[in-house]
Amino acid sequence: MNVAQQLVNGLVIGSGFACVALGWTILLGAARLVNFAHGQMYMLAAFICWFALTRWGLDFTAAAVVAVLAMGVLGILMQSAMSQLVVSQNLTSLMIVTLGFGYMIQGAAGLGFGGSPHALASPADKVQYQIGGIWFTGQDLIIVTVTLALYAGVWLLLNRTRQGAMVRAIAEDPKLAQIFGINTWLVYVAVFMLEAVLVAIAAVLVAPKTPILTSMGFEEVIMTFVVVVLGGVGNVGGALVAGLALGIFTAFFGALVSPAYTTAASFAVLLAFLTLRPEGFSFR
Amino acid sequence: MTEHSMALDAPAARRSPRHPAIRALAVAAAVALAYWLPSWLGGSPLTYGFFVTLAIFSVMAVGVDIVLSYLGEVSLGHTIFWAIGGYSAAILSTSWDANGWITAATAVGLAVLAAAFLGWATLKTREFVFSLATYAAAVVAGEIAFNTDALGGSDGIVGIPALRLPLGFAEFSGRSNQELWPLALLLLVLSIYFVDRFRRSRLGTEALMVQMNPPLAIASGLDIRKVRFRVFVVSAPITALAGWLYGYQRAYVGPDMFDMYFLTLMLTAVIVVGRRVLLGPLIGVALILLQQNYFSIGGDGNKVVLGAVLAFVLIVWPQGLAGLARRIWRARAQPRS
Amino acid sequence: MNVLDAADLTVRYGGSVALRDATLAVGAGRLVAVAGANGAGKSTLVNACAGWSRGHASIAGDVRLDGRSVARLAAYRRARLGIQCVPEGKNVFGELTVEENFALVPAVPREAGRHVFSREDVLGLFPRLHERRTHKGSALSGGERQMLAIGRALLAGPRILLLDEPSVGLAPRLIFDVLTVVRRLVDDGLAVLLVEQNVSAALDVADELYLIERGRIVGHGDAAAMRQDERIAQAYLGGLAEVEP
Repeated sequence: MNVAQQLVNGLVIGSGFACVALGWTILLGAARLVNFAHGQMYMLAAFICWFALTRWGLDFTAAAVVAVLAMGVLGILMQSAMSQLVVSQNLTSLMIVTLGFGYMIQGAAGLGFGGSPHALASPADKVQYQIGGIWFTGQDLIIVTVTLALYAGVWLLLNRTRQGAMVRAIAEDPKLAQIFGINTWLVYVAVFMLEAVLVAIAAVLVAPKTPILTSMGFEEVIMTFVVVVLGGVGNVGGALVAGLALGIFTAFFGALVSPAYTTAASFAVLLAFLTLRPEGFSFR
Repeated sequence: MTEHSMALDAPAARRSPRHPAIRALAVAAAVALAYWLPSWLGGSPLTYGFFVTLAIFSVMAVGVDIVLSYLGEVSLGHTIFWAIGGYSAAILSTSWDANGWITAATAVGLAVLAAAFLGWATLKTREFVFSLATYAAAVVAGEIAFNTDALGGSDGIVGIPALRLPLGFAEFSGRSNQELWPLALLLLVLSIYFVDRFRRSRLGTEALMVQMNPPLAIASGLDIRKVRFRVFVVSAPITALAGWLYGYQRAYVGPDMFDMYFLTLMLTAVIVVGRRVLLGPLIGVALILLQQNYFSIGGDGNKVVLGAVLAFVLIVWPQGLAGLARRIWRARAQPRS
Repeated sequence: MNVLDAADLTVRYGGSVALRDATLAVGAGRLVAVAGANGAGKSTLVNACAGWSRGHASIAGDVRLDGRSVARLAAYRRARLGIQCVPEGKNVFGELTVEENFALVPAVPREAGRHVFSREDVLGLFPRLHERRTHKGSALSGGERQMLAIGRALLAGPRILLLDEPSVGLAPRLIFDVLTVVRRLVDDGLAVLLVEQNVSAALDVADELYLIERGRIVGHGDAAAMRQDERIAQAYLGGLAEVEP
């Protein structure tokens, strides 16, 4: 086994995990909302990109922009439908509602795009680099840099802007935020739109690496869940570290044990964490 | 409306128990009626198939109902128990020629073990962490079934023989849906009877207390984790037995038993009618199966319908059809009073 | 014309009535105090004017701001129109720094009737906050938190300030400081509705006082007249008279 190569692979996979988890982390931190449709939104974004690429003949960047914009609109629609439950913080119902949305998206995608697998071909995936015996593609490079840039951007947004302060304020005490003249409903919509946009960006970055199917999305949710819990619920910096660590773990597990059981192994790590370190997610 | 006021509604809406003998008679009549229903509706294999599936899916949903209605938690891991039932029936009957009693006992035993492990691992979790952990467990279990050759891998296990239940003096055999129907109905009646007993049992009242008022539960000396653990474990074998019968009915078991379809079906069946309604899972499943069998718009279309119903009901009538009916009843009763 | 008019305010929590048919008015440059026992409905009254509640309250009745009804507006809309409420208890964001708490305040539109305070004005009133500007809300003392809460309400350009027990948990010296600042703002023309547990201190600075008992307003008058009111003298001033410096 080439250790340096696996480390690089792990970094790329981990950046992908972290990227997919970013929107969810913000959503969970700000609105305490668990989005079970996350994986299906990832799937849908990949398919919209594929559709724009192959059927409309757009180039990859333009198709990616279409996918991101479409998901942003979908995010606004979903949040608007749920707004009553979000404002009253009826968390159990919200969870099930998002599960229903996910199932709807899966069905709708099946109707629209059919059941056969497709390849989302990104031109950057064909560009290969080799440095000191380590191979990686242009897509890998883009995944890592865009993920780091997104995390930096989100961190700045949350911690250095008035809008970010509003999000953190609502995460702490949505009732008090009203007294401060903040339209909490609007902030929830914005946060959910951000979740949708970020998962779409993640999809157009990561999905080109594997065939896409309308039935995919479950593994993404689980990896996101592992990343968010290990990183500390709602903790943006923690999610990045946890994502990278999980990626490296997955790369080595896949190389040393079996690539078929990587999700199971990640879940085992999570279960161990859940039983051994319960104070890690005392969640308000 | 808030969870709290929902809790106040539920006991009031429960019908006051009439004379036990009359009640038993009514139940017996209803069961007899149900027994003859498929043959009155033509008795075709398709009709029997519909009714057996209805009974099996209802029993499956009862497992989730117990956790959702009485514990207030959303278990997304019940497909594991469902699959345990199916795989127990499949593996033992094809490889060891085991009869139905042995496969059922194994299904129940393994489901209890799995629930105990999962319950122990998620003992300290609540709300969304619990839901996600059980969800992840289900997806991972499905992945393991898909990749493990001993479990049939992605092909699953085909050629499950007809169900045999030796009764000493005779032998029950379920070679067709028509023959399976009495057993499916019996399982359904037993599971509903179980829930009826459960909600009046000590564990049932304790679970409700833990859900509604945790501080009070602690103050009255309840170990919340223990109650949650027990309810979770109790609910598992019910869903497992449904999966067990499903394996025999289909004569095939595969990783598709972990499909989101079953999970969404279980949750929707409970939610549509409303939590803490005794016949809720049965009515819910009946509505969903009617749509999918007689008003189907294709597999993917049905997914959209099922998902939309689930989301729509929770957003618009959080208390389900039963809550809606109560509201209408009250609105009609008001002018008179 | 009064800055704030509340007419027949009734507030229910679930089935129980916390406030019944409360009517009160606050004019410009007036400091109006609300006194009453614990649980009498003082906070409910103030929060109802702001259209706000920690629980699930249903509010009936009319609230007018400078003659315009705001009863149908959500709490955040009323805040933006200049009904600035400083609730009792948790009233600043602990996870945000002092500066970030200030930064949450939306820009104040230029319109008549609003009292505009710059950040410098607020820090001039509460110099402590300047020293603590990079500290998180949770790291502040009770008095500093109260200053921050009032400071951010001023920054939002109030037409009227609703203060719910600003002195709870404060040292006597700080109570005096806070109430002095409030009085100075009133003298500059601001309208203030003040709920105060310390009735004696409230009467020292207030122009008028409403007395509230079991969810109903049972008395109203000038501060001087109310000081002579038997119910007030017996229930609130008897024990406190000797403590007064």
